[in-house]
Amino acid sequence: MTTETTRDFGALEKQTQTLMSVFTKASYEAVAPTILQPADVFLDVIGESLRARTYVFTDLDGAELCLRPDLTVPTCRLHLARHADPRTPARYCYSGAAFRFQPQGADAAHPREFHQAGIERYGDTEREAAEAEVVATVVRAIEKTGLKDWSLRLGDLGLFSSILDVAGLSPLWKKRLDDAFLRPLAFRDSLKAFASDTDATRLRVPDTLLSSLKRSDLAASEAAIGAYLEENAIELIGTRTLSDITEHLIGVAEGREEKPLDSTAADLIGRYVGITAPARTAGAKIAELINGAPSGSAAALESYDRRIALLANAGIDLDRVTFAAEFGRTMAYYTGLVFEVRAKSLGPQSPIATGGRYDGLMRAAGASVDVPAVGAAIHTERLMTATLGASS
Amino acid sequence: MSKLTLAIPSKGRLMEQTTEMFARTGLVVRKVGHARGYRGEIDGLPDVDVAYVSSSEIAEALKAGSIHLGITGEDLIRENISDADTRIGFVHKLGFGFADVVVAVPDCWIDVATVADLEEIAMPFRRLHGRWPRVATKYMNLTRRFFASKGFGDYRIIESAGATEGAPAAGTAELIVDITTSGETLRANGLRVLNDGVILRSQANLFASKVAAWSPALQSVCDQIAANLAKSVPQPANSK
Repeated sequence: MTTETTRDFGALEKQTQTLMSVFTKASYEAVAPTILQPADVFLDVIGESLRARTYVFTDLDGAELCLRPDLTVPTCRLHLARHADPRTPARYCYSGAAFRFQPQGADAAHPREFHQAGIERYGDTEREAAEAEVVATVVRAIEKTGLKDWSLRLGDLGLFSSILDVAGLSPLWKKRLDDAFLRPLAFRDSLKAFASDTDATRLRVPDTLLSSLKRSDLAASEAAIGAYLEENAIELIGTRTLSDITEHLIGVAEGREEKPLDSTAADLIGRYVGITAPARTAGAKIAELINGAPSGSAAALESYDRRIALLANAGIDLDRVTFAAEFGRTMAYYTGLVFEVRAKSLGPQSPIATGGRYDGLMRAAGASVDVPAVGAAIHTERLMTATLGASS
Repeated sequence: MSKLTLAIPSKGRLMEQTTEMFARTGLVVRKVGHARGYRGEIDGLPDVDVAYVSSSEIAEALKAGSIHLGITGEDLIRENISDADTRIGFVHKLGFGFADVVVAVPDCWIDVATVADLEEIAMPFRRLHGRWPRVATKYMNLTRRFFASKGFGDYRIIESAGATEGAPAAGTAELIVDITTSGETLRANGLRVLNDGVILRSQANLFASKVAAWSPALQSVCDQIAANLAKSVPQPANSK
């Protein structure tokens, strides 16, 4: 819905007040970050894909700015401006407009300009407790506005990394798979390619040169690459130095020594990614996978189980909660738990709230260290549509 | 009846080749009034107004529907019109104005041959230099779409107004996306195209604006021009 009439606007305002009162009662301080934001931070965090869905523009001084696509990054920046030590614990809540370009044109569920009401928690060392509290607070706020038919979907990006540990993979394979996991469209193909020995080298660097490179003797390796460039009359230009190039080539040489991905491990990963189950039973399914793995470990599951228990304690009805192993892969900056709240009447393409853990974001926004961070935002127009639909 | 507006490039090789090509098809394009003016007509087709416009403005005018037909490069259409396939009709490939839009890196990057390699070096580069590799280009949209289709996102675009090939050597960007015909300029600047770095093989096309005001009469004028072109500029068999 749009709020171009006073009546609609008033209804949305009233709903927002309800949400904000739940947040402030839960000790979240209300803040109002600026709408115009430097594009830099967003481009760094989200990457150039940001330009595909954000209003980025250059002002008269040549500075690249954007209309904020969400309020999470602006809230991070506000926190950094306030605290010399970014790990200082803090809780913020906000409500305000956010803007996203819609390539096929705006529609009711995907407007260009919409409102978010949300919460962010920084600096909590008790991770699962903070996560459960954020989920419970958002659900409580949504219920307070009158929506009863919500469901909750969980994912956990950290769990995938743990599964890789369990599968007993080398650091190189772990890194490759971690990267591949974030590209869902190509993931199955990558997994297949990794498990067969087809990754022939595509570089024109002679084999003898490549295998002569040694991490233990960087200076000699660098000299060898320098000599190769000279022999072939290739000029060294640009900002990447000879040592940048040499170090990468050493990594390439090491990677060629690596055996293809173990097929048991590939199978384990494939089955993990396929898991979608009620939150109560998903833990058992993952446990089953892990026990069958080469080196079984329960550590991967502990935080999952603890989080589920904490959610139940906080009054979340677990019958409405599902877990999907692959959920969250395409969401920009999350690093651990991801979740979304759906309303039955709106369907899976239009979640009314999304959130999760994003421990790396504060550093991307300028902090010198990673800062534990959990947050969530409610799409207030969608919530309004869902509550109106439910009452009529 | 109102006339059909055909825009052709106002300067350079593209203008000459367009005029020559029309002459070969039996359509003589001549300027109206002053030789330095920007209006023209086609002998025997009184319902056609010819406008001499710069290539990039032709793309904009097709997008807005302020002209019916226009001759320009596919690169400009793809770059400037996000929904090109719904707004623009590809009437005829013209067999000149060839230019490939490519990703090129310094030749001394012997450790980089594909976009996948770029992805591998991006993170170490950031660790050492404190930023993502920069891509100098005037094709911001083509670049973004191409890299997104390859799952590569760890870079920053630096908008380049000209002499893009010089950016890596000058240290203002690490790599470039630009057009090339023979690859000579790239080589002269110490650059090399990635193995999978061809974004678009572009050439001049006669384009139709689907959002312009068309009437059956104007449509038949367009068909006539297309038929003339088809006779003397055969389409490659694999053209889409």
